[in-house]
Amino acid sequence: MLRLLTRKLVQGIFLILISSAITFALLANAGGDALSALQDNPQVSRETLDNLRRVYGLDRPMVERYAVWLGSAVRGDLGNSLYFRTPVATLVATRFGSTLMVSLAAIAISLGISVLLAFVAARFRWRWLAAVNDFVVLLSASTPRLVLSLIALTILVQLSLTETFVAAAVVLAIPLISLFLAQLVDGLDDAMKQDYIRLARAKGLSENVVILRHASRATLNPVLTLVGLCLGALLAGSVLVETILGRQGMGSLMVAAVRNRDIPLVMGIVLVASAAVWLANSLAEVSQMFNDKRLRDAEAK
Amino acid sequence: MKTRPNWPLRTGIAIVAVLYFVAIFAEFLAPYEHREQQRQTPSAPRSTIRFADENGNFAATPRVFGYRMADALTQRYEADETRSAPMLFFVKGYSYRLFGLFETDRHLFGTPIESPETPKAHLLGTDALGRDRFSRLVRATRFSLLVAPAGTILACLLGITIGMISGYSNRFVDSILMGITDAVLSLPSLIVILAARVAFPLELPPFTAAVLLIGIFALTGWSEMARLARGLVKETLAMDYILAAKATGVKPLRTMTHHVLPNITRPLLTQAMLILPAFLLAEAALSFLGVGLQEPEPSLGNMLSAAADIAQLKLQPLLLLSPALVIVAYVFGVRLIGNELKNDDR
Repeated sequence: MLRLLTRKLVQGIFLILISSAITFALLANAGGDALSALQDNPQVSRETLDNLRRVYGLDRPMVERYAVWLGSAVRGDLGNSLYFRTPVATLVATRFGSTLMVSLAAIAISLGISVLLAFVAARFRWRWLAAVNDFVVLLSASTPRLVLSLIALTILVQLSLTETFVAAAVVLAIPLISLFLAQLVDGLDDAMKQDYIRLARAKGLSENVVILRHASRATLNPVLTLVGLCLGALLAGSVLVETILGRQGMGSLMVAAVRNRDIPLVMGIVLVASAAVWLANSLAEVSQMFNDKRLRDAEAK
Repeated sequence: MKTRPNWPLRTGIAIVAVLYFVAIFAEFLAPYEHREQQRQTPSAPRSTIRFADENGNFAATPRVFGYRMADALTQRYEADETRSAPMLFFVKGYSYRLFGLFETDRHLFGTPIESPETPKAHLLGTDALGRDRFSRLVRATRFSLLVAPAGTILACLLGITIGMISGYSNRFVDSILMGITDAVLSLPSLIVILAARVAFPLELPPFTAAVLLIGIFALTGWSEMARLARGLVKETLAMDYILAAKATGVKPLRTMTHHVLPNITRPLLTQAMLILPAFLLAEAALSFLGVGLQEPEPSLGNMLSAAADIAQLKLQPLLLLSPALVIVAYVFGVRLIGNELKNDDR
């Protein structure tokens, strides 16, 4: 267990370093810095600009600036947002909660629907339900969140509703259904063909127990991996959902940062997003260990 | 041999083919120019088209009936049955160059231009600036349907190259390349794309915007392909025929291009079919947020940003969301094709 945790920690540091370094390099080189807007101002002389750059450390080489940024980021200081004029860390912290709540609700909704459909299909093996499941997978995979959020907005507007939490959660949940349902249906299908299922049936266990206690154990792990992975998709999805439905969260914060070219804020969001994604993946992997003794044994060796 | 016709595949190909046909013949299919504004009729509803003349008698050619604005504040329109014009095919309209080569002014349909009073055929109404929404929608397919596949091809080339290098190299190079790949793979796609977009000026002319978006898509979207290609290469390199090729003295590069690559194209193609709709959606998202293709040029994304006007969304939701239908159709079509490619693998 300890070895897994160390490995995940090293991976996480590597991931965060790479993503922040690439973003930093891209933003530091291509678009000019925070002061280049002053260049066209006739009242600001070249010397003032150079002085300002020196004060803010913008004349230092990029690697050094990145090291300084990283150093303060480790201490929890992500700099100040140029547009909102508040510390990036507080800004991101206040917005992250809202997005996280909606994301968790979305995971709960999509898992609930997928588990129900997959288990009923495995239990009764109705032909039509299998066809329905196939169709649900294809449909939910090909209706993008952009379209879903616009449909949700239209419905909210037509009904003159202003509460967006449920709508946002449902919009985020629908594309996830295709992911979970396809995995669950395939996994259960596979598991039901195994010898231990025949053994369980031969013992005289009821079909419900066979599916819930034996087959589902085997399908749980890939689904846990997916749950861990989908936080990234949810964060990306929240960009559109929150912008369209007018919610205050990480996604709409990112849009505001982009529209105002607020580079410290963009850096902060990328950093927090990659850390969150890494944390979710690690949690998923650790929880798999609790479910499957074989994984624990393999790790112990 | 399979003789049963493959309907999902055919449907998918048909949808995608129709959309590309529309994109290529956009000017011919559009009755009006996408930038032409009619300030007297902003946010107008769909034109009424009936097989009848002004007196209600049956007519063989369909007629387009006029409307006039009843209330400028709420932009409410009422029918004006006194004005009508025949709906004609291959009608004269604004002049354009078909394929950028042949100068012509014929359009698939429209009403003859006789006087300013002649009603215009707005199949999907007009937008807030009085531009014909159908003409804009037809034109919008062009940018979206070009940028997404171009980005996909570049991302695939990049991903396959990195994946093949990683699969062939020793453990050290392999673990570094795959470490980077996993890092890129796990990041939320749209946030990374937006972060990369900030590095460039927010307002760009259409051509620059297209090049930039294609570049960003390629640089942020290669990781899944690289992971897949690397796994397939490792698998294939363990095969006996690769050993045989090596034994007969085939050079490494030739082994990769002539012996490994041809045997892994199917799964790679399936993966490309998953990347393509993702890029179309990313383009739509960027244009929707105002950092992709900008007005007055239409794209599926920036046309949808009209839905931000809540009052209009309440009045004519279907017209405002019509570009969404095109997006869904394209994504659905590509998915059908991709699904069939995957199923044939088994």
